[in-house]
Amino acid sequence: MRRGGGALILAVLLAVLLCACVGPVRSFEVYEGKAATTAESVASAAQTARLAAGEAADARAFAPYLSIVLSEVERDAGGSEDVFGAIQPPDGRSAELRTQLLALIDRVTAVLADLRIAARNGELGRLEDIAAPLGELGEQLARFVEAHA
Amino acid sequence: MKRFTEITLGILTAIGGFVDIGDLVANAETGARFRMGLAWAVVVGVVGIVVYAEMAGRVAAVSGRPVFDLVRERLGARVALANLLASFFINFLTLAAEIAGVALALELASSVNYLLWIPLVAALVWLVLWRGSFVPMERVFGLLGLALVVFGVALWHLHPEGLLASAMHPGPPTNESWGTYLFFAVALFGATMTPYEVFFFSSGAVEERWTRRDLNVERANVLIGFPLGGALSLLLMGTTATVLAPRGITVEHLSQVGLPVALALGKVGLAVLLVGIFAATFGAALETALSGGYTVSQYFGWQWGKFVRPNKAPRFHLVVLLATGLGGLLMLTAVDPIKVTEYSIVLAAAALPLTYFPILIVANDRDYLGDRVNGRVTNAIATVYLGLLVVVATATIPLMIMTKGGA
Repeated sequence: MRRGGGALILAVLLAVLLCACVGPVRSFEVYEGKAATTAESVASAAQTARLAAGEAADARAFAPYLSIVLSEVERDAGGSEDVFGAIQPPDGRSAELRTQLLALIDRVTAVLADLRIAARNGELGRLEDIAAPLGELGEQLARFVEAHA
Repeated sequence: MKRFTEITLGILTAIGGFVDIGDLVANAETGARFRMGLAWAVVVGVVGIVVYAEMAGRVAAVSGRPVFDLVRERLGARVALANLLASFFINFLTLAAEIAGVALALELASSVNYLLWIPLVAALVWLVLWRGSFVPMERVFGLLGLALVVFGVALWHLHPEGLLASAMHPGPPTNESWGTYLFFAVALFGATMTPYEVFFFSSGAVEERWTRRDLNVERANVLIGFPLGGALSLLLMGTTATVLAPRGITVEHLSQVGLPVALALGKVGLAVLLVGIFAATFGAALETALSGGYTVSQYFGWQWGKFVRPNKAPRFHLVVLLATGLGGLLMLTAVDPIKVTEYSIVLAAAALPLTYFPILIVANDRDYLGDRVNGRVTNAIATVYLGLLVVVATATIPLMIMTKGGA
């Protein structure tokens, strides 16, 4: 009974750890899939920021709440960029894809950082203007996902 | 009015059990990714928890003893120990996540980092459990948690279209796999049938000194409280399905749960929501901390409960204090509270039969329940659910590995 219980706990812990593993990428197709997932995740962060900025413009949310929402999406986008950037591209095509996507994400994270700074300074009226480029960037990310998913 | 206050045990259990930090995120995430395509999993879970919580409450009211106490006596120390280990570990993870959930709600209201709130929240949870009485505690947090009805008002204002249609056509959308869809179904089912709910409910029945004469109140608690919790979960799912899904937003944080409400109702709605989240997560933290104390004390035969003074139940209060303190410390390591909750829900799903099978056995024992044992219909439904619980428990871990935790 005790041995069985120990094995079960070990199996569960192993399963939990396995879920967090990122294996090496050996083909363009797998790398492309990871790029699409990353783009999807950054697009989600950009859309969240746009929605929050719109709510700020209509005075529908408090400054503390908005500053937390915007800090979190900036961190998410940065985290996705870091994780994807750390994956070794397996070939030349993958390296090109990497350059293309990271350039796009850089532009998104720059806007998200500006939004976070403005929100923390209490400049809620400016958020919608600052967030304006996220519309076009979001569409580019969506096109990227469609092309590579 | 008296009847209304009597059902607050069920409301607190339901809101704490259904709409805690894990459910807030799981239901919001499900709505954003699958619209209402997984609403059925909540409905199936609600029926299951109603059947088993009714059994647990009836056992406590008729025998005057909580379920866990009888499980140990009826099925022996080994079976009860397996039950205790599984439920206590999951319960502890849930408690830690709830403490972080309260801190996150305070962070959203103040923009002060949630890690700074955690020691204060853990101390407050312990203080309420040490000093507060059971009945006022359940009423305050149960009723404040009803502020989450704001999800329904927000949904009304958002004029959703196609929600019912998406609920009627289960299955993954084109950009999601069947594996991910089933993983989320299992997670929602596990969240709905969280084991601590029945332990808290049956021990709470003893705390409130229910007897055979209170069986109608017990049924009202179950039949109103748990479906109410399930309805709130579905309303929350509906708000994110309406606002976040069309924008391609996936839910990663508690803060995103507020976006649809703010869009629909503005600052007032957002303020009400934050109060509701605070109350629901704080109520769930109290429930899980108490459940930890209940299960350990009942297994070892120690004096337990809030119905006696703390100096009469020192070991029970020590377990509660240690669980709360260690839960706070775990979250101070900056581990992602949402991930902790998601794992606790999935692990709960894997351990469900260990919790519910002994309840079914005890609820059929005439030595404890006399003529109040399960009827044929209850047994038939409960047996079907037991089969479902075994399937869910078997599938949970493989699905988690296969889908990388629903990523």
